[in-house]
Amino acid sequence: MGVLNLTKLDKNEIIKKVIEYGGKGITKCIQCNACASVCPVAKAGFPLYGRLLYRKLQTGHFEEIIEDSSSWACQACNRCTEICPQDAKPFEIVFAFRRMQASELAISTSAFTPLMNLHATGHSVYSEASKELRVRVGLKAVPVTSIGDEAAQQEIRTLLDNSPMGELGIF
Amino acid sequence: MNKCGMYLGCNIPFRAPDIEQSFYKVFPALGIEVVDMEGATCCPAWGTAPSFDIDTWLAVSGRNITIAEQKNVDIMTGCNSCFGVLSEARHMINHDPERKKTVDKNLGLINRKFQGTSEIYHVSHILYKNVGIEKIKENLTYSLKNLKIAVQPGCHILWPSEVMAVKEKNSFFPTILKELCQALGADAPHYSKLNACCGMGAMRSTDQIRSLGLVKDKLISMQEEIAPDMIVTTCSSCYLQFDGAQKILKEKGEIDFEIPVFYYTQLLALCMGFDPKEVAAISETPRDAIIEKIQSGQRLAN
Repeated sequence: MGVLNLTKLDKNEIIKKVIEYGGKGITKCIQCNACASVCPVAKAGFPLYGRLLYRKLQTGHFEEIIEDSSSWACQACNRCTEICPQDAKPFEIVFAFRRMQASELAISTSAFTPLMNLHATGHSVYSEASKELRVRVGLKAVPVTSIGDEAAQQEIRTLLDNSPMGELGIF
Repeated sequence: MNKCGMYLGCNIPFRAPDIEQSFYKVFPALGIEVVDMEGATCCPAWGTAPSFDIDTWLAVSGRNITIAEQKNVDIMTGCNSCFGVLSEARHMINHDPERKKTVDKNLGLINRKFQGTSEIYHVSHILYKNVGIEKIKENLTYSLKNLKIAVQPGCHILWPSEVMAVKEKNSFFPTILKELCQALGADAPHYSKLNACCGMGAMRSTDQIRSLGLVKDKLISMQEEIAPDMIVTTCSSCYLQFDGAQKILKEKGEIDFEIPVFYYTQLLALCMGFDPKEVAAISETPRDAIIEKIQSGQRLAN
């Protein structure tokens, strides 16, 4: 995963990065803010969402917003994608921004444990206490998933270790 | 289709295994064989690979889908997030030749190949489309007549509708879960915040107070507008949020009521006469009283 050199980036380079990280609709946004009208992040009172985020990115102000955690509260619900009159796919832009933040290690602290769990077990959520719960309801202590399957876990580690995520030093 | 690959995800097997047990009880009884997906992993959750690198997301999702492909079955997920992640991944792999090439290269590292032969469904789709309302009605031991349900379809089963195999007529006024609840004999009236987000997921782990604000708004909308006997969802994340948050909100004095919460197949299993100790045994918000009411002699259907 390439590291952004912030001092050398101008407006067009930020737009290029957003597109490269999956937000190909960034240039289609006309600032109507229809996305914000249905966005749970907006409703819950986070500061950076909808047209403000897209305008900051369109005008190259990435450095100013890199530490903002609003994007990590995005529910990926895609209400915005459903209603965007420009078909800009706003969700993809929010997640492209997240990936740009992640490439600078501006990552929500809440992301680390699920990531490490995924690498170790194949599951982002896991608890040893689940064994007792499972037996109590008549199931085997361990499900048929990767949790009890060393070969499956090795497959996931191979995929993650050989990905750009492997270069971030999280695992 | 009379069999389906059971994709479990994480929350259901490790936090709410009574939901998993309810799948194993209701589906075979309704004529759908549940096929294990051995070695399946996290979908991967939105906060993991999808937040870092699209090709890694597609590789992990693609790997999960290949497990079903090898068994010649479609997939059904119980978790809305898994349904969304896998549906979007499959759509991207099938519609973007460059991404597909990278997926092929990455899955080649673990000797797998994505074929695109298995479709992604949600358990509620299988119940609605493959089992059908009439067959559900025919298999009930207990009726929910005169009980009122607040339905909570959740987000990732609805949007973006473009990538989903089964679509609501209007995703902002969904009816599938409502019809599935009515099939049990219950009323499932509209309330104004029916399609609003419950605040679970990324928001809950980023900012608990703001997340609880959303679920509180929904709970008050339900209670004031329809005063339901229970909340019923087909999303395991919504289930955990509604079940767990009520206790917190009550302790903080922000709500003064409690509404029992069920995942739909738990409620269906209870109506089919299965043992609550197996299919509805783990919750923060008490539901013993409503379970006793559901499985009472007066509610025997025909």
